[in-house]
Amino acid sequence: MSDVLARDETTGTTRPARHRTLRLPGVRTWVRVAGAVLLLALPFYLDRFWLQAGLFAMAAAIGAIGLNLLTGATGQLSMGHAFFLAVGAYGYCVFAADGGDGLTGLGLPSWLAAVLAVLVAGVAGGLFSPIAGRLRGAYLGIATLALIFIGQHVLFNARDLTGGFNGRDVPPLSLFGLTFDDREVVVAAVPFGSAEKLWYAGLVLLLGCALFARGVLRGRPGRAMNAIRDHRIAAGVMGVPVARYRAAVFVLSSMYAGLAGVLLALVFQRTVPDYFGITLSLDYLAMIVIGGLGSVAGAVVGAVFVSLLPQLLTRYSDALPLVSDPGTGGIAPGEAARYLYGAAVVAVVLFLPGGLVRLAARRRVSPGSGATPGEER
Amino acid sequence: MSTFAELLLNGISLGSVYALIALGFVVIFRATEVVNFAHASLLLAGGYVTATLHDDIGFWPALLVGIAGAAAVGAAVEFLVMRRYRGSDHSVLAIVTIGVDILLTTELTRRIGTDVLALGDPWGDAVLTVGPVSLAHTRIAAFVAAALLITAFLLVFRYTSWGVAMRAAAESPETAALMGVRLGRVSLGAWAVAGGLAAVAALFLTVFPTPGLERATSLAALKAFPAAILGGLDSTTGALVGGLLVGITESLATGYQSDLTFLGRGLGDLAPYLVMVAILLIRPAGLFGTKELARV
Amino acid sequence: MRTTHTAKVAAGALAALLVLAGCSSKAKDDDGDKQSAGGVKTGDGISGKTISLGVLTDMTGVYATLGKSVTQAQQLYVKQVNASGGVCGYKLSLTVRDHGYDPQKAVSGYTELAPKVLGFTQFIGSPFVAAVKQRIDGQDKGLVLPQAWSATLLGSPYIRVIGSTYDIETINAIDFLMKEKGLKKGDKIGHVYFEGDYGENALAGSKYMAKKAGLQVVEQKIKPTDNDMTGQVAALKQAKVKAIVISAGPRQAASLVGVAAAGKFPVPIIGNNSAFAPQLLATQAGPALTANYYVASPSLPIGADTPQAKKLVEDYKAAYPKDSLDNGVVAGWTAAAAFGEALKKACAAKDLTREGVDKALLTINAFDPGFGITQDFSDPKSASSKQSVILRPDKSAVGGMKVVREAEASSAAEGYTPGS
Repeated sequence: MSDVLARDETTGTTRPARHRTLRLPGVRTWVRVAGAVLLLALPFYLDRFWLQAGLFAMAAAIGAIGLNLLTGATGQLSMGHAFFLAVGAYGYCVFAADGGDGLTGLGLPSWLAAVLAVLVAGVAGGLFSPIAGRLRGAYLGIATLALIFIGQHVLFNARDLTGGFNGRDVPPLSLFGLTFDDREVVVAAVPFGSAEKLWYAGLVLLLGCALFARGVLRGRPGRAMNAIRDHRIAAGVMGVPVARYRAAVFVLSSMYAGLAGVLLALVFQRTVPDYFGITLSLDYLAMIVIGGLGSVAGAVVGAVFVSLLPQLLTRYSDALPLVSDPGTGGIAPGEAARYLYGAAVVAVVLFLPGGLVRLAARRRVSPGSGATPGEER
Repeated sequence: MSTFAELLLNGISLGSVYALIALGFVVIFRATEVVNFAHASLLLAGGYVTATLHDDIGFWPALLVGIAGAAAVGAAVEFLVMRRYRGSDHSVLAIVTIGVDILLTTELTRRIGTDVLALGDPWGDAVLTVGPVSLAHTRIAAFVAAALLITAFLLVFRYTSWGVAMRAAAESPETAALMGVRLGRVSLGAWAVAGGLAAVAALFLTVFPTPGLERATSLAALKAFPAAILGGLDSTTGALVGGLLVGITESLATGYQSDLTFLGRGLGDLAPYLVMVAILLIRPAGLFGTKELARV
Repeated sequence: MRTTHTAKVAAGALAALLVLAGCSSKAKDDDGDKQSAGGVKTGDGISGKTISLGVLTDMTGVYATLGKSVTQAQQLYVKQVNASGGVCGYKLSLTVRDHGYDPQKAVSGYTELAPKVLGFTQFIGSPFVAAVKQRIDGQDKGLVLPQAWSATLLGSPYIRVIGSTYDIETINAIDFLMKEKGLKKGDKIGHVYFEGDYGENALAGSKYMAKKAGLQVVEQKIKPTDNDMTGQVAALKQAKVKAIVISAGPRQAASLVGVAAAGKFPVPIIGNNSAFAPQLLATQAGPALTANYYVASPSLPIGADTPQAKKLVEDYKAAYPKDSLDNGVVAGWTAAAAFGEALKKACAAKDLTREGVDKALLTINAFDPGFGITQDFSDPKSASSKQSVILRPDKSAVGGMKVVREAEASSAAEGYTPGS
């Protein structure tokens, strides 16, 4: 696993040489242009179902990047990621709501609420760091599991803050006079609802998060984090402030989760406590393993895979062999998705250490391409 | 007072079931340093085999087949999956067991469907009443079984060559291998034993006072996590103490729910985790766990 | 290098967008309501001669038992309606999406089906219905019949709960305990309930009834993962309750009744309609359940002695020989039949648009699909019925339940408004 990052570094140093030999904008640039155009054009074509699925994937990708910083790059197993998502989602509601529905609401401008929600998630991560700093490996993993149970308990019981079992409405985000709600805005003859508008917000956020995480991973902090993961004591001996780094990464990862939570809340338009359970945390772990531990691209690929797989299977259940409509016997789409998802986790770890991004990298080792997993976005 | 005694006894008996599950975690952790998240599905597998067979071959043979079946599933997981992993990161292996758990649980719940399967145990809903306190026979059986099994494991770990090999493998796999310990066999054995333990635990989880085995039974394994951790993941004694502590905490938190309303209701699930976090703050390796030594 | 690339990407993208957007199929064009040959106005959810209906169910999650029965009953209903010619010449077709009680899948399922269907004959999980409520009320306006009986769902003209809600059912259940099981003013009553919409709505009912009748409620909140009710029974015994209400799942009810019976704590126990499954009678808890357990239900059981119930049992057995007959079958059938009734009325009024169907349902004030309770859909703010039937488990009955007290609305339930 550590060789993913090692590979990153080597290509990082060899890349300039490659660029000198390639005068014209390379294949890679064109692929990027095409990808960007495609992503930007999608809201004009896809219907709301697919846009929403895409938005779920984007939110998941942001959360997964955060978890990958913590678990993949620094080696701290966290099963409490869903808790920080919940902090972000509910935090946003509390800050942005105007209290019209009888629940606590501070009525702040929604962009400020989003920023504050992310900060609160970071603070929550910081509060947990006395525990996180003392524990390692499996102990840390299961201790973070406690966060899920505490979180669920609070979500169901702190009625004024969370709305209890029924959750609470999410006020739409408003930025520079543009409100991301369902009021239709017609752009080039295409009506834009909340999903279309949020799509662009999601893209911007994801890009920002990915670039920032890439910067962290490639710079000094990233090397320090990997050193902590690979050999904590050796890292300490070499002068890496281990405890400070571990706490900082925990906070950063919680903030990523908080932002993912805010985006999810905006897409859902209502937060419900059932969502932020242990399954969600396990999903995030599966994402980073399937995509590739320790790399930003891995987190994104894994998030897309885990979020879209069940949607695809459900949507096209009638066209697939072995999968049958619910109620007709045979394997239901939901079950088929679980099988594939479980098998993917196992298969990736056994046969594809480094995750799906390695698959892409392996196919493109041809000279001149130069693309390695850690570098894309 | 009698309520307290009853809650305490009930907590102890419930805790002994958790201790059995926690022991399963401990056995695998000792041998391979992996936390086995697939334990829940081994539990379901053992229970399922017992439940489907008891009508035809009687309860005790069915239980034996169930134990053997779950042991076989555990061994198969080790042989087909865990052994093939080439890396050295135990967190990654823990995540692999999550994948295995998803596969096995999906298959088993699909088979169980919407049924509630009885296990055909001989205790029924009989209750032992001493003064004001009553305790189900199934719970007494659970306590006795847990006590016997845990004592047996303490002895096995200390005195048999398998136990010594397992400890050696956990301490330092390379050294153990050099000394002639067959690591594969040790880990295979640990998984099989954990499977068998899971089947026994499944039995006591699904008999009276619970109606039977069904798709959600495996969730009980979640309650054994704090038990295993707060006792110390590599300690047999820890599994017992942790299990009892979790059982008692849960039982008391439920029984005195009305006096704890300021914390919100329905604390039963949460309390064990709070106790666990509190203990980990003081002892990061659990009550009886070995402190990790720095090896550079 | 990077900046120029980025600029290129941006410029290229912008140009491409402007060119491409014009030919998008999503582009706005007026395809409002259509008028078919017979003069019936149609809109979303009808194409050609087919009316599409959505089903958002749970067949792989915590409500799998309910979801399976409800869905199969509705599929059976649709099959029979189509065999007899459909609704005013239109065939019905159900699109089923299983969300496994996962909010993300539930909301996705709604988003996928909402533009394509006329309405939903089933939507399991009231938190999820609440999650899309804004969209149902604001834009989609299709009729949604949730398979959840929480009073928090009332009030919308489009989301219509069928039968009594949990709070009313609990009031009727306690009324039964007082009238026939010797519970009296000043007594304590235990209430074991699930965290979440179901249990907490039921608790609102028992609290209301306690205030009315001078009882005292001893609360015990549990989670769906709690399967062993020993602690709860010990606490209730200590509090000296004279009766227990359970608003939880079948397993919890079985455990509660079993533990109480074994511990010589012979108070009457009554549950809501979701707190029983016929599968339980085959387990160890069976004898205790038949001895001392009652269930309040929003309709007669599947084994009721009415011609419609008998026909349903026969048809269901023929279609799904392996599956058990439970009250989910009744609930699913009733909901599908109510939707079918609304469609027929809408057809008679020559308006099969979503609006037309919503309006048609409001005119139905005495609908009886043959399970002993008359539904009145004319007021979206109140449940379609305030009556409950009291049942008790019986091994020999079809569906494992027989009637103890016929449909009746207690005076307390008549005077109850949710939220009071």
